[in-house]
Amino acid sequence: MNRSMTGQYVQKDSVLHKMDARAKLLCFILLLVVMLKAKTVFSYGLAAVTLVAVCALSKLSFSALTSTLSRMTTFLIVIFLMNALFFSTQEAIWKWGIFTLSREGIVQGLHVVAHVVLVLVLSNLLTCTTTPIELTTALEVLLKPLKVFRIPVEMIALVLSVALSFIPTLLQEADTIRKAQIARGARFESRNLIEKARSFLPLILPIFLCAFRRADELSLAMEARGYRGAAKRTKKAKIPLKKSDLLALGICSCICAVQFFL
Amino acid sequence: MTKMSILKRALICAVCIALCVVLPMAFHSIPDAGSILSPMHIPALLCGLVCGPWFGLLCGLAGPLLSSQLTGMPMMAYLPPMMVELAVYGLVAGLMMQFVRTKKSLADVVISMIVAMLVGRIVAGAAKALIFAAGEFTMAMWISSYFVAMIPGIIMHLVAVPALYYALEKAHLIPRRYPKA
Repeated sequence: MNRSMTGQYVQKDSVLHKMDARAKLLCFILLLVVMLKAKTVFSYGLAAVTLVAVCALSKLSFSALTSTLSRMTTFLIVIFLMNALFFSTQEAIWKWGIFTLSREGIVQGLHVVAHVVLVLVLSNLLTCTTTPIELTTALEVLLKPLKVFRIPVEMIALVLSVALSFIPTLLQEADTIRKAQIARGARFESRNLIEKARSFLPLILPIFLCAFRRADELSLAMEARGYRGAAKRTKKAKIPLKKSDLLALGICSCICAVQFFL
Repeated sequence: MTKMSILKRALICAVCIALCVVLPMAFHSIPDAGSILSPMHIPALLCGLVCGPWFGLLCGLAGPLLSSQLTGMPMMAYLPPMMVELAVYGLVAGLMMQFVRTKKSLADVVISMIVAMLVGRIVAGAAKALIFAAGEFTMAMWISSYFVAMIPGIIMHLVAVPALYYALEKAHLIPRRYPKA
């Protein structure tokens, strides 16, 4: 089951890995606009060149960057075909029953698929080069303005970072419980829907009990060590953005501005 | 145990978010289980019932988002309506638990769940019809996709969530709603 996780942090010694997570998150938002704003050949060219350059900077393998794409091939083909065959009934290239293959439809299908591919690779880049803890800390800093509306940003960041750190442990436990239940005769593979539904309860009940027990133990441990709410937490050191981070932000802003003119 | 501290509620919300990622992965190894039984709905509902409306809302929003980012499920196209649906589940389940008091905790849970599931489906359908698939989403599509196709899932949720709530109370992992005198 662990193998089906995509976009997990991959340790490398690259410029992107060393970049401050706050700057990386802001750059990601700017580049997301660049990817989604692509409509003409030139704008797609700019988006693709930018993405290839960032991928090269990350030193990540091709398989790590495209791991999500390989699982979504069928989805992408279906999206393309739906657009190509149903988007327009005018200027048909080929017609059969309810299906109308049109030039407009093919272009629309390619647009949608290209946007999805660009965004998926970009999000993979972010999660593969940033640890979950760095990401949630960055999110906490960037969401700070929301405090004006009395939104407990620190608490949200704490919840997200704990959730992320729990995922591998719970996955392992779920796998162990599933195997134990199969050994006890649970029939998950049964085609009978009622039998299948009945076999789930012995699976989810221990998973939830395990997870809640872990939350209980962690809360006890945190309170015993004097944790008095996320809002009162202090940081060991306040790290300012480096020149290289500011430069990256400047470059991404320029690319984003250029994309609006293309 | 009389009342849970805010830290404990936050940590339970965190494990429920983690379960939103883990459960669909555990279920997807079983043929057709993910699409028919919607396992991600269970932690969102339970989080609302146990931790209250705001943590339920957070779990409903963050759970599908993290799952989509880490596992590719749900797919990007289904993600926004699913986030709306689960967020409303968590929020309404938590709100209902504050107002419904029948003196029987399982009855409270079932009533809160039914209302949450109904409101969640109505809001998600409205969001799809007005925002995510404006002009393409019809009443018939709403009934078939949110009710008819989901019948096995709805039944399983109505059985599993109260059973989980009861088991958690019995194991003293959450406080009893009506402590024995």
